Amino acid sequence: MSGTSGPRILVPVGDSVTLRNTVAYAVRELTEASEDGSVHFVFPTHWQTRQLDEEAAEAAEELLDRIQTWVREDLDLEPDEEVPMSVTTALIATEEYLFSYRDYADSLVEYAREHDLDHIVFDPEYNPDGQGPLLSPIEAELDRLDDITYETAPVEREIRGRQLLTGGINIGTFLGTFVLSFLFYQFLGGFSGTFDYATGAISAGIVAAVLSGITFSGDFRPLRALRTIGRLLVYFPFLLWEIAKANLQVAYIVLHPSLPIDPSVERIRPAVPIGLPVTLLANSITLTPGTVTIDIRDREFYVHAFSQSSRDGLYDGDLERWVRFVFFGRGGFRIASLRERGQADESADDQESPPATEEADSV
Amino acid sequence: MSLLAWSAVALVVVGLFFTIVAAVGLIRLPDLYTRAHATSKADTLGTLLTLAGVAVVFQSGVPRIKLGLLAVFMLITTPTATHAITRAAHDQGIAPWVLGGDEE
Repeated sequence: MSGTSGPRILVPVGDSVTLRNTVAYAVRELTEASEDGSVHFVFPTHWQTRQLDEEAAEAAEELLDRIQTWVREDLDLEPDEEVPMSVTTALIATEEYLFSYRDYADSLVEYAREHDLDHIVFDPEYNPDGQGPLLSPIEAELDRLDDITYETAPVEREIRGRQLLTGGINIGTFLGTFVLSFLFYQFLGGFSGTFDYATGAISAGIVAAVLSGITFSGDFRPLRALRTIGRLLVYFPFLLWEIAKANLQVAYIVLHPSLPIDPSVERIRPAVPIGLPVTLLANSITLTPGTVTIDIRDREFYVHAFSQSSRDGLYDGDLERWVRFVFFGRGGFRIASLRERGQADESADDQESPPATEEADSV
Repeated sequence: MSLLAWSAVALVVVGLFFTIVAAVGLIRLPDLYTRAHATSKADTLGTLLTLAGVAVVFQSGVPRIKLGLLAVFMLITTPTATHAITRAAHDQGIAPWVLGGDEE
């Protein structure tokens, strides 16, 4: 790595309250040091955004444009002046599906090595999938590397607790959480009168006040949520049917005197984004014919398959398509199946080689 | 007995059948991963069918909604638990049993 020249910084960016200050910090680091440093602002898209979510793709590009503008502001540039140092913005991992923090770390490291960067600056509020705190697990992954250092930008961090007092609660997520918990309470209580409605409202109010910040990933969009639930109801009978088939198959195999199994571990790269879709797919795979999801790592699903017929079913990718349908509508069906995407090579190999070699590279 | 009662009994009996299949599978199958198949699938359907049988017995709406919620939680937690167990095994480096692997 080029440790002798100026700072070579990688900044993963996403929508966050401290992003502006993080950008300013990175630019300051650059201007205060020698002149031949460079800074790359990258946005890990974490799914093939264009294909699935046009809106998110545009938001990402807008964000990168905004960063360009901020950098110019920080450097006091005239509108027609060139940026003197190497400042790059980029979407990364556009062709990958990142399932976990490990995948994020991998894709950042990959980019850093490719562009000869040796320092990563994190935005303290960086939260790329909008769900859990992803930052410390990413840092833990980076700790294992010698050639890349990282730091969290020392910028003012908004304290979450203060939002409660200053009324910084998002009305949409608050109401969404409130309605959901109120209905849940009433279902359990059986809609049994005024007392239950009052206690239900109080409980739901407390739950919404405390938990509304983490209930939904990103902004709560009721219409979108309703559509997803509607499509989930379409998916459900299909899933139940698959579960029934899975059970007959398991019953047949288990009760058959010669126990006709031919298990193997398959590694597949399904085309679904991080978060709920991955969870739904992994769980659906586990519940349906002859396949159990063992692990999700390195952007791959490790799936234990019971027999040849279950392997075929897996590569047909019906479940994957249904899961995309649930979250993104009919467009989800249009993405090619695993077999069509060229992963059939893998399955063909599996059929030719003895199954024992398949796991040779594991652990 | 009424038709309703008979269908409830039928559902519970079929549910029990699949639960027994899960138990037999747990004993007969060769390793942790294949056993996970038996328990995750057969057990889920067994529980779902038994819950359905109970739902038939209860005539009113509220217990049925509760049973429905139970079914949904079963559908979420069973595969998640299976995933946790198999993943732990995988992390420990336990190799899956394969056809012909015994002969070595």
